[in-house]
Amino acid sequence: MAFVETMKPRERVLNALARKPVDRPPVSNPTNVATVELMDLTDAPFPDACRDPELNARLAATGYTELGFDSIMPYFTIIQESSALGCDMQWESKDNWPTVRMTRPIWKEPEDVHMPKDFLTHRDNYTILKSISILNKEYGDEVAIIGKAMGPWTLAYHVFGVQNFLLMSIDDPEKTKRCLDRLKEISVVFSNAQIEAGADALTFPDHATGDLVSGEYYRKYLLELHQEMAERIKCPLILHICGSTLDRLDYIAQNHMAYFHFDSKNDPQKMMDIANGRIGLVGNINNPVTLYSKGPEEVRAEVNRCLEAGVNMVAPECAIPLQTKLENLLEIPKAVKDWCKENYETEHYKKSYSQIGAWPA
Amino acid sequence: MPIVHEGLKKELEYVTRPGERKHIEEIFERADPFLHDISHNLIMGKQHEVDRLTKEALDKGFAANTVLDDGLIAGMAVVGVKFRDNIIFVPEVLVAARAMKAGMKHLDPILSASGIEPLGTVIMGTVKGDLHDIGKNLCIMMLRGSGFIVYDLGVDTKPEEFIEAVIEHDAHLVGMSALLTTTMPNMGRTIKAFEDAGLRDQVKIMVGGAPVTQEFAEDMGADGYGKDAMACVEKAKELLGIGAVAFPAPAAR
Repeated sequence: MAFVETMKPRERVLNALARKPVDRPPVSNPTNVATVELMDLTDAPFPDACRDPELNARLAATGYTELGFDSIMPYFTIIQESSALGCDMQWESKDNWPTVRMTRPIWKEPEDVHMPKDFLTHRDNYTILKSISILNKEYGDEVAIIGKAMGPWTLAYHVFGVQNFLLMSIDDPEKTKRCLDRLKEISVVFSNAQIEAGADALTFPDHATGDLVSGEYYRKYLLELHQEMAERIKCPLILHICGSTLDRLDYIAQNHMAYFHFDSKNDPQKMMDIANGRIGLVGNINNPVTLYSKGPEEVRAEVNRCLEAGVNMVAPECAIPLQTKLENLLEIPKAVKDWCKENYETEHYKKSYSQIGAWPA
Repeated sequence: MPIVHEGLKKELEYVTRPGERKHIEEIFERADPFLHDISHNLIMGKQHEVDRLTKEALDKGFAANTVLDDGLIAGMAVVGVKFRDNIIFVPEVLVAARAMKAGMKHLDPILSASGIEPLGTVIMGTVKGDLHDIGKNLCIMMLRGSGFIVYDLGVDTKPEEFIEAVIEHDAHLVGMSALLTTTMPNMGRTIKAFEDAGLRDQVKIMVGGAPVTQEFAEDMGADGYGKDAMACVEKAKELLGIGAVAFPAPAAR
């Protein structure tokens, strides 16, 4: 019997997030797959597509309609909440990512942390919420809509400045914890608003990356906070942390979130071994070298490496460079399907995907 | 002279590569024990102690060069090794850098007035679209400490700004930094701009930043890649033909 897809993309993603069997591993985009080519195709360029719900939804939908991914991600950046909080923004142009001017922080003390009254109606948060509801109406039965809310650590970089915040973490750990504790409320409010708007799941970037801080920092500052987030936000959460995370995956696997979105710096097999079913893994096709500057053949090799390791969902490692070629992105679902055709009868496939048993609690 | 400072001896245990260990030990062995205290406090990130001790060292008659090389830079060498080997991370490096800055404020005026020939001139900046500067600033601190003149273009640097700075300062080395996978391609665009301006053969270009790799550097056409601030100094010396001398290089000052 030949391999056939029996699930709609939404069911496939939701099953994977719920740790249930899937017809094939989903191809997801927990961060973003918007490119300049897709902006041209939909006449929805940056930065307008980040700030206008109609344009946002149009561009976001291409992740499904053009690329064939199993989910849609309407929050392209990591700066929407920070803009609504009053951070100094650099919106850039079509071919560059909008960003927060973190060298001009807006707050210094934990007591400064507050949510403006118009936080959810602010143009940049409203764009995401409205776009989710547009996408939900149009594609909600078919494809998974994944929202995104920044975690307190990422928000802290934006509002306090990266250097100031990291120095604070050494100089005054208690003050640092108070800052995070207040910022987490902002994460919860924006998360729940997206769920209400129709998001099926949320990516939760919280950049306690191995390139900046130790694994011990994750345990000390974030583990309990993330457990609380997983409890209070009523949908599957996908934690995203860039960089090397092998040293903190054991802690991450205890955070009660559904998934961890991991970077290409980490070997998929080693990650799977450490996670050991305690948390799902999604990743980790390299962006700057493979997707940006190599070709479909190299993309396929990385997809296969993930699937051989049993990675639960396949995705680019992080937000992709805007000039990434479409042929490389199109290769991801294509390679997944080809791999499934060749492997769907194997024990590995059944054990990892089609007949996956209950994961450890 | 054997190292008697217990704290420093303990810190040296983190330096496990034989050649590196020997080199750093030699610096500490030749240094006056008073300077060991500066090194150790710098490694521990104690800015007020480094501030006080540096001033005291100058008052005692130590040459500014000696305090810099055998006290501050020697301490930063240990910090660099610990960072490279994932024993410490950026927050710990930042407090050490802050301590170094506290010491440098006493040394800078003396060193600037001494008229010592610099090792070379470097233009440094974070690429267009990227506003991260911690790694770049650490590189700049180490390059300056090692005897380079550095012009810091800051963050979000356009290709033409790199080019203008190279022309204005007659520099032969450019360092570009990026923290985001989304902005890394701007390194390639900047290198292309140097080619288009007919200046590519006149400058060496090195790149770095957390997601940057040797492979990416080669793909973009860079001349060198440095994983961290310590490697940046080594690469700068190598690219300018000064030789890959592990810092500090007191003979160059």
